[in-house]
Amino acid sequence: MTIDIILQLLINGILFGAMYGVAAIGLSLIYGTMKIVFIAQGTVIILVAYACFWLFQSYNINPYLSLVFIVPASLLVGMGFYQVLFRKVAKAGSFPTLIIAFGFLALLENFMAVAFTSTVKALQTSYSSYALTVLGLKISFVRFMAFIMALLGTGVVFFFLKNTLMGKAVRAVSENLEYATMIGITPHLINTISFAIGIGLAGIAGVATATTYAFDPYSGFVFSLKSMIALALGGMGNVVGALFGGILLGVIESYAAFFLTGGWADVISYAVFLLVLMFKSEGLFSREADTK
Amino acid sequence: MKHKKRLLWIIIPIALALLPLIFDPESSYLIYFLYMTFIYIALTQSWNLVGGYTGQVSLGHYAFFGLGAYVVAIAWSRGLINFLSPHGMLAGGLGAAILAILIGIPLLSKLRGDYFALGTLGLGEILRLATVKGGAFTGGPTGILLSVASFTTIAPHYYIGLVITLLALGATWTITKSHIGLALVAIRDNEAVASASGVNILKFKVFALAAGAFIAGLCGALHANYIFQIDPQGFYSLNWTLYPVLMTVLGGAGTLFGPVIGAVFLSIGFELARYFLPEIHPIFSGLLMILAIMFLPNGLIGLRLRKSKRAIVKKW
Repeated sequence: MTIDIILQLLINGILFGAMYGVAAIGLSLIYGTMKIVFIAQGTVIILVAYACFWLFQSYNINPYLSLVFIVPASLLVGMGFYQVLFRKVAKAGSFPTLIIAFGFLALLENFMAVAFTSTVKALQTSYSSYALTVLGLKISFVRFMAFIMALLGTGVVFFFLKNTLMGKAVRAVSENLEYATMIGITPHLINTISFAIGIGLAGIAGVATATTYAFDPYSGFVFSLKSMIALALGGMGNVVGALFGGILLGVIESYAAFFLTGGWADVISYAVFLLVLMFKSEGLFSREADTK
Repeated sequence: MKHKKRLLWIIIPIALALLPLIFDPESSYLIYFLYMTFIYIALTQSWNLVGGYTGQVSLGHYAFFGLGAYVVAIAWSRGLINFLSPHGMLAGGLGAAILAILIGIPLLSKLRGDYFALGTLGLGEILRLATVKGGAFTGGPTGILLSVASFTTIAPHYYIGLVITLLALGATWTITKSHIGLALVAIRDNEAVASASGVNILKFKVFALAAGAFIAGLCGALHANYIFQIDPQGFYSLNWTLYPVLMTVLGGAGTLFGPVIGAVFLSIGFELARYFLPEIHPIFSGLLMILAIMFLPNGLIGLRLRKSKRAIVKKW
């Protein structure tokens, strides 16, 4: 047990976790504005991963280049999701929205199992197994790119929320829907935008997943749970917290997987999740103590 | 009118009990179909008690079903019980109920709404992974293989299924007619007001979860006696949450017969889909769930209620 291994695990965890973070930011925005727990987020990510895989396999489009198509498409699809699935029930409370999201998860998962079969797919490029060596530590190229994409995605969303009028409106709705409506913000518009951004981020996470993981239709559910965990760690409705939550989860997993055998690492993540939900449900990174 | 309804409570079970005498349970497809429908009705009613009446959306219901099955499988493979042992099945139900109490107290006292749903999902996954990693004790990912030798006909399963279904319906009916039912609905409709009126929120929530888990555990235990191979993929499958939720929502959450209607309707739907669209039928369960929530917020049973309400308004 040397310091090298500890550092290596830390780096792997951080690179890994940034992806959970991106997915969690999407969830965080959706939860913040609409109070919808979009449990199908991970399944959407896997759907994007299939799209990325298909573009590469059939048209030989570089996965990173495919972001040019995938992100705008995801934004549009996200708008569609809100308008078709949630607009009608947005005000009906958490029971209907949770059930719809759960139904959507089942729908997508089974659709993918039928359309793409349930065999495991992995995207093989010339640089898939290439690793950079920095100060004796190995950094996988694809994971490094996933990390960069995660940072860029977070940066763009953060800039949008802080510096644009629309972004301020999104934050206003998250903070207090009634007051936001009173000063003339249309909730449906803001909800549509939040959903678009959420699914857009799922697009980024999807490409990152396709390049780093082997996946099948059912990995979406696990990914959903992982992004929920990241969200809970960061605090629901907290954008930067969600990214840190994801990174923290990645680091926990990385160490747990090294010290325990395979499947138990997930048990540790779920246990941490439950403990955080129960004892610090405002998240580990929230600045304010009050939850409402 | 009321008298007629009460009579149906007796006639339908007796008719169902006589069916295996007319249709040979060794070959009849109908008997198998009804057996599965019983499992679905009981499971759906058990979720309805927690999700529909008390308003606590538990997505970890599959854990109770799976645990019931595993209690039977583990005890059976150690020679503690036999094929269809009543105390084995009872142990399955009790095991699930004890789990519900153990996890219900911390989760329900701390978590509300969406957080509770996520928490139960996390617990279900922990249980599933622990079973996969359980080594010789749980049989790991391949599960436990039980002896098929004692199986001759589905008739006993059919009758036990019928009894569990009647138990689930009877228990729900008794609970909702008592002060417990009032407390549960009060918690669902407004927790703060219920608490202010002196309802011990935690006690009733845990009670509902444990009662639901007991029935779900019984279903799992019975089904283990029919499937004989108890593996995590089949028994800790998310479908055992998905189907009851879907059937409750489609039939009408928080009503006694809504889950029955939803379960029967969907069991028929599943069978038809399996026959005509064998490949793609699982897609429809998700789609139906979305459509049911969007267009039938009170379920199929709501259609009838709305009509009768309309009739009253007209008369008035």
